This record gives sequence, structure tokens and C-alpha cells, in this order.
Amino acid sequence: MTQFLIRRIFWAIFLFLVATIITYLIFWVIPSDPAALAAGKSATPADIARVRHFLHLDEPIWKQYLRFVWQLVRHGSLGESFVNRQPVRTIISKDAPVTASLVFGGAVLWLSLSIPVGILSALRPRSIMDRVTMTLVLIGISAHPVWIGLIFSYVFGYKLGLTPIAGYCNFFPGTVGAQCEGPVQWAYHLILPWCTFMILFAALYVRLIRANVMETMNEDYVRTARAKGASQRRVMVQHVLRNSMLPVVTILGMDLGLALGGAIFTEGIFNLPGLGHEIIQAYGRADLPLITGIVVFSTIAVIVFNFLVDVTYGFLDPRIRPS
Amino acid sequence: MVAALEVKDLSTSFRTDDGIVQAVSGVSFQLDPGSTLGVVGESGSGKSVTFLTVMGLVDPRQATVRGSVLLQGEEMLGASQSRMRQVRGRTIGMIFQDPMTSLNPVKTIGWQLQEAVLIHQDVSKKEARKQAIDILKEVEIPRADQRIDDYPHQFSGGMRQRVMIAMALINNPEILIADEPTTALDVTTQAQILRLMKKLQAEYETAIVMITHDLGVVAELADQVIVMYGGKVVEQAQVDDLFAKPEMPYTWGLLGSLPRLNATGSRLDQIPGQPPSLLNPPSGCPFHPRCEFVMPICRVELPGLDLSTVGNDHRFRCHLDEESRARIWAQKKAALVSEDAA
Amino acid sequence: MRRKQVLSLFMLVLGVAMLVAAISVGAASSSSKKAGSAEANKGGTLKLNQAESDFDFVDPQLAYRTDDWSMIYTTAMPLVGFPEKAGAAGAQLVPIGATSFPTVSGNGKTYTFHIRPGLKFSDGSALTAAAYQRSWERILSPKMGSPLGVNLSLQDDIVGAKAFLDGKASKISGISAKGLTLSFHLTAPNATFVSILSMMWFTPVKPSTPYSTTGLNVYPAAGPYYIASRDPGRSTVLKRNPYYKGDRPANPDQIVFTPNVNTDQSLLQVKAGQADLDIIGIPATAAAGLAQQYGVNKGRFWVGPTSCVSYMAMNNARAPFNNLNVRKAVEYAIDRPAQVRLLGAYAGKRTAQMLVPGIPGYKPFNAYPIKGADVAKAKSIGGAAIASAPTLNVVHTTSTASTNRAQVAEFNLKQIGFKVNDQPTPATNYYQVIQTRGTSYNFVTNGGWCADYFDPFDYINVLFDGRKLQAANNNNYAYFNNATFNKALDHASALSGSARAAAYAQLDHDLMAKYAPVVPYVISTNRFFTASRVKNWIYSTYQGSPYLNALAVG
Repeated sequence: MTQFLIRRIFWAIFLFLVATIITYLIFWVIPSDPAALAAGKSATPADIARVRHFLHLDEPIWKQYLRFVWQLVRHGSLGESFVNRQPVRTIISKDAPVTASLVFGGAVLWLSLSIPVGILSALRPRSIMDRVTMTLVLIGISAHPVWIGLIFSYVFGYKLGLTPIAGYCNFFPGTVGAQCEGPVQWAYHLILPWCTFMILFAALYVRLIRANVMETMNEDYVRTARAKGASQRRVMVQHVLRNSMLPVVTILGMDLGLALGGAIFTEGIFNLPGLGHEIIQAYGRADLPLITGIVVFSTIAVIVFNFLVDVTYGFLDPRIRPS
Repeated sequence: MVAALEVKDLSTSFRTDDGIVQAVSGVSFQLDPGSTLGVVGESGSGKSVTFLTVMGLVDPRQATVRGSVLLQGEEMLGASQSRMRQVRGRTIGMIFQDPMTSLNPVKTIGWQLQEAVLIHQDVSKKEARKQAIDILKEVEIPRADQRIDDYPHQFSGGMRQRVMIAMALINNPEILIADEPTTALDVTTQAQILRLMKKLQAEYETAIVMITHDLGVVAELADQVIVMYGGKVVEQAQVDDLFAKPEMPYTWGLLGSLPRLNATGSRLDQIPGQPPSLLNPPSGCPFHPRCEFVMPICRVELPGLDLSTVGNDHRFRCHLDEESRARIWAQKKAALVSEDAA
Repeated sequence: MRRKQVLSLFMLVLGVAMLVAAISVGAASSSSKKAGSAEANKGGTLKLNQAESDFDFVDPQLAYRTDDWSMIYTTAMPLVGFPEKAGAAGAQLVPIGATSFPTVSGNGKTYTFHIRPGLKFSDGSALTAAAYQRSWERILSPKMGSPLGVNLSLQDDIVGAKAFLDGKASKISGISAKGLTLSFHLTAPNATFVSILSMMWFTPVKPSTPYSTTGLNVYPAAGPYYIASRDPGRSTVLKRNPYYKGDRPANPDQIVFTPNVNTDQSLLQVKAGQADLDIIGIPATAAAGLAQQYGVNKGRFWVGPTSCVSYMAMNNARAPFNNLNVRKAVEYAIDRPAQVRLLGAYAGKRTAQMLVPGIPGYKPFNAYPIKGADVAKAKSIGGAAIASAPTLNVVHTTSTASTNRAQVAEFNLKQIGFKVNDQPTPATNYYQVIQTRGTSYNFVTNGGWCADYFDPFDYINVLFDGRKLQAANNNNYAYFNNATFNKALDHASALSGSARAAAYAQLDHDLMAKYAPVVPYVISTNRFFTASRVKNWIYSTYQGSPYLNALAVG
């Protein structure tokens, strides 16, 4: 088991290096000048040179990269934003909980919805309920989150006034001047974003779970269980579910890692100050440290989640446990 | 003595998107307590479906079942789901062809054996585990008390089949239905499994239904044989009688296509043609499209189950007359014997 | 010397021309009935959205954008500034922190101010001349790293400033602060000096305020409000300053900014009353509907003038636009009304000249048609030169608005016979591409300029003096360089008063009629929408937004 862990850690480090190097290379290739942006558009060349030196942009790119890695490893620092000189680490640590609220809350919702619906559909294939579900699934997969988000926000937020139109509230109270805070407001403001975010995933998972359950129900060992006289409930719970959920675990882990970056649309519509929103703005302003910081963070998140998936899968499926 | 299992005129048909599939029609037989019934036929002959129907494992939403199944005198068709669940695994045990996929890969075999016990017996988990270890020893799994906590993928094919047998027998059922239990195993393991089954049968006095396409297995294990084709029983007899005087062309074909160790011919004798479509079954005798002795009446009228001159309750379906059949069989037999001699 | 995207913020009042200009653009009446009433509806929390943006800095010595400054102004106590009054009264520079305008020495090089007694910061400490001195130190100190001071070459204007900037002196010798007396010693007389002091960079901060390269988020302020909290990207909260002394309004108890809101969602929130106003504006497509429903400047939907002119630039240094006739052909070909329509209703006034109302020397005239393109005339003027012209590299940024604008312009160009190569360029590269000498662009559709100060020099000289062209960072990205014109520029900039205005009016005219280096098309207006509970709208032309401390939601 330790060998497995060590190998995974080395692989993780390798991935981290590759992702950050590629990010730096992209900035080297695109001819943009963050120093000019930081200095202001009517700055004279002398000012820009001053700012460039201040931000270490006059060094060769490999030196900048090594400086970055050294800062990260030694000080745990990801540098400072070119735009407002905030430490990137601080920005990310403020944004990550927002994205996490959206993604994990959304995940709980989509699983709560898709697992029962998927199973019920599998148990009654081609029934009315099943056909209606599959149609809704198709809509859920096809409709863009931006469209869904705007429709929800307009109908439920603006027209009906049931929820806030946009905005985020901290879960833990105590921020000066915050317009809303505390767990209730936090959840209230996240209702529409959760619904928007989860629709696509719920649709995908209903389809996945339905297919898996249907397939598993035809497995020979399910027939064996029935031949042993097991009740339908026992067959479903002990034999079908455990096996049909294995692929769901794998995919869930990967989806959570990717979703941390992919919540961009939902965050934009509902003004959630999370990582997706942040990186879009950072890109538009060529804010290299912030972009790299978020890329690094997302890479680590994906790596961690995939690792957790591997471990969980090994826990659930004895066939692949490293013995 | 009440028959362990008596099936009368059983028919099972399935509604599919393409139409109605007549999987089993008019099948009747009787299984005596402690005896072995061999059920022989090709894929698609209806042999598996017959016993899935007996076990109540066919989907009632799609299948239409007619006839009568008497389990120790009690009618099973139309019985409640809960009664069927009582029967399955307790009065009738069933094992299947592929032990690799027939065991739940994420549960230990101990758990699965215990499950079989706990469904039907009101005992503690500890007691169930003890019974599991005992039965594993019976089926000759070495180091049973350690291996009970292993997963199916940690066993070989033959071992897994032993576990399946153990699971089917753990509640000491009256009947064990074995659906091609050795088809997926190599010859040596096959022999071991068959030997084990014979031993267990003697010990537990279990009646066995051995479903197979392999006449060799039948010869070794069965007391009584039924031959199925196209969803119907085409011949039934005591095993010795069947081999002594098979009465219809399909049975002749089966016997003729047995590989023989000392044969010199370059090819196995095959029965030409394909098994019939159960969606559009042939009219008249189900075998007539492939029969080398087909007559016009065979296409029109299903032969009834006639009594043979040889043996006790030896029945068959064929329009050929006694004389022709005797002659043809004598010729075929001579050919087979001469191959042996050569 | 900032262009439109970084709006400039202070103006020099040299006359009543400002008043005439403001009225002519039609916004003098843009205030509600309770104009100037500081007691109207005090209380409540003013909830402001910032669509797709945030303050980059709230530290007054680092912040340099319009929305930064309109917020900082509510907390500021500059020596001089503009009062929260509508119309002409709001266009007059008045002393705010100072008792009166400064006394100037005979040689014009020393300015002396007296600070009003009794002023306090929001933490209760007294405001003295040293606080103003401190703001200058923070602008120029190498330990702040602020690029702002050097933009205006302040280090050259004040005695001892250069030494301080270079780290050779610990204080700026040319600024002396004793008690409530503040003196500046300039290196040379500077007619614009007093007006630049109204810029937010010079708002006073406590002398103990540290240098900070990241900028302070909260600090004591002497204006009607102070910044109580700032969470970059999340919120900024202003609270009324309990120690404020003065008659500027401080109506809401609290002002809360929510940044980075989606533009359309922001409008929905204002409509639903969940926010009071978006200080960036409204989606362009919403303007027509809002105007129809609420009228213009009648209580909900507001249109306010700016000093900003939008233009398309031609690269005069490269073929084909080194040919005057080809340039003139483009002036006739570009459909100005179509461009303005793209911006939505009430987006601005069509124009074909560089100067804008409010700038001395502004005399409205149209050298080229503003009612639509004249394709025939364009073709006849351009002649064969168009057909033999190389394919035009048309550069524009990738936003929706820019892309639409470029599409329409390219259509016009193709109509008269040009071949076009569309080059969308991300905003991060855009300025590098067009501002570097020798660039290969031919036509740029994103040009624009706003006043840093209200003098025509800021428009004509800064943008069209070819002698100032350098290797990179050129504001004159039309690369226009004409010796005759340059001489006329020198002549005009030495004048003052009405002679100056007349000379620049002529230059403005000649620029377009004789040389046509660029294609101006609209003088923009800013459009806002307020929630129903918002009262007391007073618009500031130089900020391009309402006075936030005057808005009432109580």
C-alpha cells in the first residue's frame, strides 16, 4: 500500500510541474505585457520599466518560473496579483470556499436526485415515468447552464421574488458590513445556483445510474441471489446497488475535481465570488500570478480527488485492491 | 412415494418486441426423490427456461406460463412471491453455468454463504458462519476456515463452482438443479465436480436435475433422461434404455456426434442445420427441417409421445414406424461400432 | 493623459465655456427636485453594484480609475474640489479642505494654502497640513511603487521631488507643512497646478499612514465618509464619518459596494429593488426600454454627459492611409449613426471632430457627414487608390461591443472597395499591437479619449503631435506627423484665454478638414438606472457618475 501511495505522490508532483510549466509557456508565447497593464496605459516607457523590474518581469521566463516554485515550496506563497497586489494565496483561500459551497452542495443535491430517480427508472424501464425522466434528462444535458441560470434567476428571483437574484453570503458570520451572512442566508442565496449547477450533472448521472442498474440487474450473480430466495429488497440493496454504484464513485471523483474549475458559468450569473469567476477576470487582465495560482490549485484539487477516488474504489471493489 | 417434482404440460412464452417467443411448450416429466434427471438439448431447446420457470425466476411481466408444477405435491405455478422465495434456496437449490460471474464479486464467499443461511434459517450470524465453514469442507475446499473470508476472484474456476454447489446445498434442499455446471470448466475439473456431486447426492439424498448438452455427463450421472428440442420433449427414457435404443432421429444425431477417442474419421458427425427459431417455430415436428428422414406428414403434424418397445416409460416423438426406426438405428449403431473397432 | 478605459478625473476650469457645454449636451437638469438639499432623507444603506469590475485599489495614492475616484471622493477632503451641486454651480472649483484658494507668490512658483481649522479624521485625530504633505510623499515614494505621480511628471514640477523619488532625500524639500499652513515650491510657474490638486491622489491621509505596495484597504478619512471595510472582489463598505465638518451631503448611513456582478443580473436586481444602482451603468440594449418606460432624467433612468469622444484610428504611417484622399474617403464611408445605434439608446451624440463640449475652443462643425455614409462621395474621392490599396488589417478587441463595432465598420470599408483582414485581438495584447511604432495595423475601431483636464492641449497636442512619437506606448497611434500642423500646435499652446480658444478651434477644424487622420463618431454619455427608492440624483460630469454621498435612500 505504501508503494502505491508513493507512486501516486510522485505522479502528482509530475502533473503539478507539467501543468504549471504549460501555463507559464502560454504566457511566454502570447505577446502581452503585464507590466504595461500594471503601470497604467499612459505610462511612459520609464515607468513601465520600473514596474517591470518591481514585478520581476524583466527576468527570463525560466527564472521567473523557478522563483515561483521556490516561493511555493519554501514559503507556501503563490506570489501576488499583478492587478491589485493581493497575495494570490489569500485570494484563493477566500474564493475556494465559495466554489466548494457551490460544487459540494450541488453534488449532494444531484446525487440525492439522480440515485433514486435512476434506480426507479431502471426498475421500470419504458414505463411512463421512465420515458418522462429520459426526456427531462435530455433537456438537462442539452440546456446550457448559462441559459438555465438566467431563466431561473429571472423567473424565481425577479418575477416571483422567491429567492435572491444573485449574490453570496458567508457561512460564518462576522464580516464587517456584510449585507447578509450566516448559514441560513448562505443556503438561501445558493438555492438557485445549486439548482442551475446540478441540472447537467443530475441528468448525466440519472442516465448513468439507470444504465448501470439495468445492466447489473441482468448479471448472473443477481440471478444467483434470487435463486437463493433473496427478497427483491435484499437483491437490490446488497447485490445490485453496491455493484452498480462503483462506476458512479469513479466518475463522481473526477467530476468534483473538474467541477471546481467548471463552475465558471454558474458563478458568473449569480455573482458568486469563486475560483471560476476569478480566473476569467484574471485572464482578461493578464494577471499571471493569479492565473497560475488558480491553475495550480485546480490541478491539486483534481489530483487529490482522483487519488481519493482510487482509494475509495479500492475500498469498495476487492478485485482491484493492491494486495 | 410423492415425486420430488412433477411437471405437467408446462409452457412458457415471452412477449418480445419482435413477437411472442414460445420457449417451452408442453413439457412433462417427473423427478423422483434422490434420483438424477438428465436434461439434454442444444442451446435454445428450452431446457434452461423450463427450470427457471419451475423456480419462478422468469419475469411475470413478460412471460406467460401455463401448465402445472407440483413440488412434493404442492402446486407452484400461481403460488405467491413469498412462497416462491421460501422454496428457492431451501427446497430447491440451483447452480449455474459460469461460476465466474455467478458469484457477487464484492462480497466474500463467506458472506454469500451466510446470506443463503440467514435468508431461510433463524440462526445467529455465528451459527451461519459455522454452517458455511462446514459446507465448504464438504465440497472439499482446503483450509475452509481461512478461505471463507476470501473473495470470488481469489478462487479458481473449479473452486468457485464448488462454492456455488455449497451455496445451493447449504440449506439441505430436496432438489438441486444444475444448469450446465461443468460446461465452463476443463475436463479434469469437470470430472472432479461430477464426482463431488455424486458424493453429495449420496450423502444428502438430494434429487438432481442435470441440464447439459453433453451426453457423456448424462451417461455418468443420470438415472433418467429427457431430450428437448425446440421447446418440446422429443424423447425421454431411463438412461440405459436411451443409449440402448434411441428412438428418434435427433437422439441418433446426438449420439452420433459424440466425439470418440478412437475414431478415425477426420470430422465429427454433425447434425446439419440450425436450431429452430422459437419466434416462428416450425409447424408439425420441430425437428423436421433438419431431419434426414423427413416425410410429408412431419411438416404438418406434431408426433405424439409414443411408448417405446424398449424400457420402462420410454417415450419419443416420431412419425417413422417401428420397423424403419429399428433398422435405421441398427445401421447407425453398426457404423459407430465399426469406427470403434477400426 | 489616460484614455477612455481609464477615465480621467479632474478638470481645469478656465471659464464659463464649461457651463455652456454642460447645458448644450442637455444634462444640466439632471437632478431631482431636492437638489442641493443635504438634509433630504438621511439614513439607510445605499446598495451599489459594480458590473463586471471592482476597485483595483482604494488606497488614494494608488487608485487611478474613475470608479475608484468617485468612491474615494465621498471620503476625501482635498484642498480644492467640485461641490455636489447640479449645473453650473457643480462645475466651479471651490476650496474644500483649504480656507480659500491659495496665495501665489510673485514669481508664480510658490503656492500657500491655509487648512480649515477643526477638521478631523474619522478616528478623531486632527487634520493638519502635514496630512497633505503625506499624500505627496506616498505618491512619489519609491517604497510605495506608485506609478501615478510619475505619469504627470510631478517629480519635475515640485522642488526636491526628484531627489525624493530617487530615494536620495527622505522628504520632499519643496513642500512645507507647519500647523495649518501648507506651501508648495514649484520648479516653474504652472497654470494648471491648483486644478490638479483636486485629484483624489492628493486627498490627505494621516501623517502616520504607512507606505504599502499592496495598498491600504481601510484608513482614517476626513471626508463625509470613511472606508469601514474592504474585501477585494467581495465588498467595500463606507460609513458616515462622525467627525466630518463641512456642508457636503452625507445622506446614507452606509454605502455598500458589491463588485463583479453580471451586467444583466445587476439591472434585474435594481429593478427588483435588491440593489439601488449600478455605478458602471446598464446593458446597452436596455436603454431604449428604460427610457420608454421611465423617461429620461425624470427619476429612474438617467443620461449624463462625459468628455469622452470615440474615434476610429487610421495608421497614417503606412499605405494606404498615408494618402490623404484615401483617408477622406473613409471619413465619408463610415456610417456614424449605425455605430451609435450599436451602443443602444441615448449612447451619445454623433460627431465628426475631436474636441467636445466643455473644452475651450470647441466649436461644433461637421467636416464629414454625421447622418449616414456617403458611399458615392467616398468612392469618388478615393478613386483608384482604393482599388490598388493593400488588404487592410483591422484590429479590434474581442468584446461583443468591439466585435460588433468592427463588423459594421468593415462593412463600410468593403462597400467602397477595400479588402479587409479582420484581426480580433485580446485586450491584453491590444495596446501593445497598436501603440508600438512600426505596427502593421491599418485601421483600429476601438479608439477613444476623455479629458484629463479641460484644456484642448489634452486632446489635440497629446494625440496628434507627431514629434512625441516614441518606440512604444504611443497615444498618437494614428502616427500622424505633419510639420505644418506641429508648428501650429506650438503656436496655439503658448496662447491663453480667448486667443487660445480661437487658435484651438481652428486647429480642431483643420485637423479634420485638412488632414483627417482619424474618424471621430460619437461623444458618449453615461446611462444609469436607479431603484425606485433612490432620491436626490446629482450628476458630476467630471466623474461621469452621480455624487454617491448625495443619493438618498432613507
